[in-house]
Amino acid sequence: MTNYGLVIDQERCIGCQACAVSCKQENNVPMGQFWNRVLTEGGDKIDTPSGGYPEDGGSGSLDMEYQPTACQHCENAPCVKVCPVNATYTRDDGIVEIDYDKCIGCRYCMAACPYNARVFNWDEPEQMPEEGTGDVAARPQGVVEKCTFCSHRVDEGLDPACVVNCPADARIFGDLDDEGSTVSKYINEYETDQLLEDRGTDPKTHYISGEMSPGRPQTSDKMESELDDVSPWSDGAEDVPSDADGSDSGDSGGSHHSIESDADPHVPAVGSGGDD
Amino acid sequence: MNDPQQPRLTPIDEWEDEAAAMLDGVEYDTDLGLRMARDAIRVSNGELSDAEFHEKYHEELLAEFGEDERPTKPEGFDDD
Ligand code: SF4
Ligand code: SF4
Ligand code: SF4
Repeated sequence: MTNYGLVIDQERCIGCQACAVSCKQENNVPMGQFWNRVLTEGGDKIDTPSGGYPEDGGSGSLDMEYQPTACQHCENAPCVKVCPVNATYTRDDGIVEIDYDKCIGCRYCMAACPYNARVFNWDEPEQMPEEGTGDVAARPQGVVEKCTFCSHRVDEGLDPACVVNCPADARIFGDLDDEGSTVSKYINEYETDQLLEDRGTDPKTHYISGEMSPGRPQTSDKMESELDDVSPWSDGAEDVPSDADGSDSGDSGGSHHSIESDADPHVPAVGSGGDD
Repeated sequence: MNDPQQPRLTPIDEWEDEAAAMLDGVEYDTDLGLRMARDAIRVSNGELSDAEFHEKYHEELLAEFGEDERPTKPEGFDDD
């Protein structure tokens, strides 16, 4: 079975907000709302450092500690369990999604989500430009919305928009059930945390901290499993997990580094609506 | 425009107030939503089973929403 998950390397994240902005653009997220936001551990405002400057010759502890946060696509999702009309549900591939036609706006799911990952359209959503952006239809007033792991892209074999547009390669999307995928290898190899682990929600988003991973250099906007011939390990990524030499991991590893003709680097198309 | 809303991590002692604010003005039973939210986390934690959770709220949901389509329904559960 496929079980999609995301690894976010906090040591690679530079807090540039590209994921937050590309999420809004790709998913036509209304004005005033964010599905994805770059939190800092120092406080609730944007770019709030923790710690302090070095004083009196001390070393100081000033640190930004970026923590991009969106729906965690929990394995034991409380939002799914409380929805009386089954509008919020878990897909077979693990993505937690909302059927906006079924949603009656009771907001029980919002109250149950420990990550505040959901937003409610109190008013008629406004888009800028008016006709909207990206590849997803606007949601109506009176429903709850949130990150979908860009399921519309995933269904086409494309990585989520925030993953493709992260300039630091800090976001890696893939199949947690595939031991050879980069997400699985990184979770095994590096120190990773899930947010609010004590709530037992078992998020499918895992955060690397402490030691920087090689990331997953984006050679295209396709998911790793869709790339037949492209090594996820770029040249010089010597600290990749030791089992990444391709000996047993089929087409997800390997030392070859050719790029297939259909795996061109992501270049947004111009003109007729949508970028993919 | 919608009031700004965005993901954040709420400290546990502030959660209840925030959840109540989210449900404020909702057309449905606020107290039911709060109790279910609390118990849904207990289900995630393993303190409560899906079946217990389902049974506990089934009648109230039917009365409030006229339906109960939650995926927690145990096998052979009598809907009526
Ligand atoms: S983060 Fe919140 S909205 Fe997303 S699956 Fe978990 S409980 Fe549901
Ligand atoms: S607001 Fe919509 S998705 Fe959330 S619990 Fe109510 S019906 Fe389900
Ligand atoms: S996966 Fe898609 S919907 Fe979710 S945060 Fe990234 S861009 Fe937004």
